[in-house]
Amino acid sequence: MTMTSAPEGQVPIKSESDIVLARREVREIAAQIGFSVTDTTRIVTAASELARNIFKYAGQGVMHWRRIEKGSSSGLELQFIDNGPGIADIALAMQEGYSTSKGLGLGLPGVKRLMDEMDIQSSVGKGTTVTLKKWQRS
Amino acid sequence: MENNISVIKVRNLLLVTMPPDPDDPTVSALQAKVLDAMERHQAAGVLLDISQVETLDSFFARTVSETAQMVTLMGGRTIIAGMRPAVAITATQIGLTLGNIETALTVDRALDMTTQGPKSIRQR
Repeated sequence: MTMTSAPEGQVPIKSESDIVLARREVREIAAQIGFSVTDTTRIVTAASELARNIFKYAGQGVMHWRRIEKGSSSGLELQFIDNGPGIADIALAMQEGYSTSKGLGLGLPGVKRLMDEMDIQSSVGKGTTVTLKKWQRS
Repeated sequence: MENNISVIKVRNLLLVTMPPDPDDPTVSALQAKVLDAMERHQAAGVLLDISQVETLDSFFARTVSETAQMVTLMGGRTIIAGMRPAVAITATQIGLTLGNIETALTVDRALDMTTQGPKSIRQR
């Protein structure tokens, strides 16, 4: 488990049980930063979706988390990094209802709605990095 | 930490309680557990208590929704009880749907639903 005051950390995603570990760590950090129960639930749910994407599409990867500051507001940044197949068409993947695997067809657009900022860097055959940010409302 | 699904028979129903943060294999086990218990106990329906659940993601939602469909095919009824406010807000925002599954604020209310009204399980 993470040191309570650590500014950043990471959770390797290699198995299904690591998705639970990622959720737990994100929940703990979000609560420490002072996010509300609802925002914490949003962040943890987003983390769960992306950690599962790594396991499902890339097989393995890592989730980085980092405390962030902007002026007087603090927040949490999450990065999901893998060396998997990559996303050929990010614009398509961001379309409502688009999903490449059997699912509810949600994925990335749903995750974006839960967070304040989302950035996707991906190249085919090299991997994908999804960066999420959530700011605490003051 | 206890992280297993509990299935107990209450009258003619199955009361299924989900743990706070189940891993994917535990969620996947829901279907087989519930359907087996439906047959074994000749149950009229399933009351799924998710009041402890802190995170409902698309995988969890899909599994619950599919399980409810299967219970319907077996002639049973499914009621989901106790979704937390933060979970309901998040699920709606992310676009999750549980199909046409009946819901109740608490397990108590869900039990009331099964003993009164036109869809009464007792009347079946």
